[in-house]
Amino acid sequence: MGRTAPTYRQALEERLKRWDAFARLLTTPEDRAAFELVRTGARRYVAQATYVGSPDLLEAILLSVLTDLAARLRAEPAASAARH
Amino acid sequence: MAGSAPAHDGWLLDITESTDGRSVVLWVKGRADERVRRTAVDYRPPFLVAGPRAELPPLLRRLHDDPRVASAELVLGRPSLFDRRSRAVVRVVPRVNPVRRALASAVDAAGGYATFTLYDVDLAPPQLYHLAHGLYPFAPVAGHGADLVATEPAETIDYEAPPLRVAPLEVHLAGERRGRIPPPDGRIGAVRLGEVTLDGPEEAVLAALGRELARTEPDVLLTEGGDEFDLPWLYRRAAACGLGPGEFALGREPTPFRPARPARSFTSYGRVLHRAATYPVPGRFHLDRANSFLYRDAEIAGLVDAARLSRLSLQTVARQSPGTCFTAMEMANALALGVHVPWKKNRPEGFRTGATLVAADRGGVIFLPPVGVHDRIDEFDFASLYPHIMVRKNLSAETLECRCCPRSPIRAPGLGYRSCTRQVGLIPHTLAPLLTRRLAYKAALKDPALPPEEARRLRQRVKMLKWILVTAFGYQGYRNARFGRIECHEAINAYARDLLAALVADAEEAGYRVVHGIVDSLWLRPLDPDRPPDPEAFARRASARFDLPLGYEGRYRWIVFLPAVTHGLGVPNRYYGLYTSGEFKLRGIGGRRHDTPMFLRRFELEVLELLRGAPDAAGVVARVPQALARADLFAGRLADGAWPVDELLLAHRVGQAPEAFVTFTDSVAALRQLADAGAPHGAGETVRFAILDRQSRSWRERVRVAELLRGDERYDVGAYLELLAREAETLLAPFGVRRDELLARWGAPPRVERQPYRSAEAREQRALSGDAVGTFSPPSG
Repeated sequence: MGRTAPTYRQALEERLKRWDAFARLLTTPEDRAAFELVRTGARRYVAQATYVGSPDLLEAILLSVLTDLAARLRAEPAASAARH
Repeated sequence: MAGSAPAHDGWLLDITESTDGRSVVLWVKGRADERVRRTAVDYRPPFLVAGPRAELPPLLRRLHDDPRVASAELVLGRPSLFDRRSRAVVRVVPRVNPVRRALASAVDAAGGYATFTLYDVDLAPPQLYHLAHGLYPFAPVAGHGADLVATEPAETIDYEAPPLRVAPLEVHLAGERRGRIPPPDGRIGAVRLGEVTLDGPEEAVLAALGRELARTEPDVLLTEGGDEFDLPWLYRRAAACGLGPGEFALGREPTPFRPARPARSFTSYGRVLHRAATYPVPGRFHLDRANSFLYRDAEIAGLVDAARLSRLSLQTVARQSPGTCFTAMEMANALALGVHVPWKKNRPEGFRTGATLVAADRGGVIFLPPVGVHDRIDEFDFASLYPHIMVRKNLSAETLECRCCPRSPIRAPGLGYRSCTRQVGLIPHTLAPLLTRRLAYKAALKDPALPPEEARRLRQRVKMLKWILVTAFGYQGYRNARFGRIECHEAINAYARDLLAALVADAEEAGYRVVHGIVDSLWLRPLDPDRPPDPEAFARRASARFDLPLGYEGRYRWIVFLPAVTHGLGVPNRYYGLYTSGEFKLRGIGGRRHDTPMFLRRFELEVLELLRGAPDAAGVVARVPQALARADLFAGRLADGAWPVDELLLAHRVGQAPEAFVTFTDSVAALRQLADAGAPHGAGETVRFAILDRQSRSWRERVRVAELLRGDERYDVGAYLELLAREAETLLAPFGVRRDELLARWGAPPRVERQPYRSAEAREQRALSGDAVGTFSPPSG
């Protein structure tokens, strides 16, 4: 409605759609599951990525994906410790 | 609450335009006898034309030759909000009021739509009369005719509401049930007005209605769907009986039997809406519950408050959006400040680069909530955050990036837009009293000695103000908002984002973790459940620190955040939770939506009642099997085919003209049925129907519209089981409930994935646009 620049959320979804082509040529279920993690990571921090307000969409997506991965890495030792 | 205002003789109910085009009619209700008197006063308001000095004399000559002009002269003024110095402008008085717009268009065209700026063109003469004479709707008044004066200002918070006689009006056609499609030649069999039902032969009923109106003198005719049905039908039948405006009138003076505004479809916030035609009833008001969003919420007391402040007639306020009211309030304030109202907004957005737009054009902070059930959550909410920011930061079109304050310390975070420090902007000027007013009403409501009737009135006014305050922000970014400016919109969001970010840090310091946040609300969990922070103290500290009122909404026993169907992450605005007070808060689930059929509402209600017993998150999880058993019970009864069909009605708002549909949907079938029965519906109107056979290609068999429902129809069990499964999944998805599993458990037929029917043109279009390229489709048999 009258806005010139798409919102971060819209731009993100657009970009994720483009990445579908990447996912289609992944050949193992493990790779596809891993890619799903990346996609989820990209969506997880929309509020924070919007707040950055960077004109570089990829910068915002990368921050989101990396933070998500780092958070999983930090949680992993605790989780595996709990399992043992 | 009664003020100590000077004595008044009565109340000014309304000002209407008179049919001669040269005067307005003042309707005053006497204080002593409660009788309404009509006085016509000559009034032809001028409009102003501003432009380059050299262009004005030729324009004047032109206007002097125009037969539509009564007078045109040069005067000095500062018409624009941005004018700091007086300049010469042309003041034009049209010969009759109805030509104002045509004359203004001619002037605009003469200047090539660029040379001249016109002011005060599209304000209605009654509105201008109010503003020029210090009057307002429902003002206590003294004096007569042109000397009428208000005895207290419109902004008075503590005022005596005028006594209004309200009479429900309902038309019944002979041999027809109300709500059914009326036959085109249907005769009126009975009319209910107030307590009295008039029946008999049509002409006698119409005559009796006239007498009853004269006897009971109602000020407000209250209908349910009167714009659509009752009023047009009364006028239509009166005309059919050979009556003219002289013999039949619903208002207090004769008026032609035609709508003041025709019906129209329009778009608002991405939705197509429909508004029925409005018929005038001069001297009275017609409120149509079905055509007044604000009446449903704020009722008459709220509408009266809004009419007073906006100088719009009650009849208009009821039918317009809160945004229109706010714009009218801005206009009233502008004219009071000596500024005039530009006809067309002539302030294009400045050129900005893509990078600036990306940085500036962002909304508030909206987190993604963690999907699942959570307990012990405290909710906080800023009251009227955006209006408060506009007032505190002096955000208005003319105060932003002003020339007088290059070193202003008030700057939007991250954007740097400056606010003026010398002069209060029009928008803060308009908003500040509304905020004060709302707070005053809320404070008065806390008084336990308040009579219930008065409390009800105040609550209605609070609601009305809430809606107006909400829209004030949106109108900053709206392209047609006369005093809006997109940079204000951006600045407000920037302040709000900054505020929420600061609040996150504060909350953590206070011993909270942020669970969720949307623009002006936060959901917080105590870090140490055994020693939770004092929520009231936190709210007080934050309010003091940010100089904005942060309120503690309450503690949730538990709250369930729901996932998106597409990606499974949380959806910001879809949740349900139970406060410790025992009250539910529901967002984005079935019962909140107007199109949900009754049987699904029942299901949702039963599940919520079941969950009401849960003291915490574990209690909710423990009750999920019971909720599923409830779903099974509903499914069983649906499958028996015995559910009453009127509880299965779906409502659908038609998004486009019926002929624009390319796919054959349930709505299309419903539209065809309605058109066939003589009641065609258009874009923005709502159709209500039960699904009889969703696979049928026949518009007669696929659905049955509510208006034609007999009650013995066989409904499509599969379709309704699917709706039930979807609803159960919506509510219970965080607990692993999947709709396909439910459907399999109920033995429902597998979901039909059918290629939608498309017209030949649509297929061709798809093929041309390359939609089908690259996908493999098996040859169809």
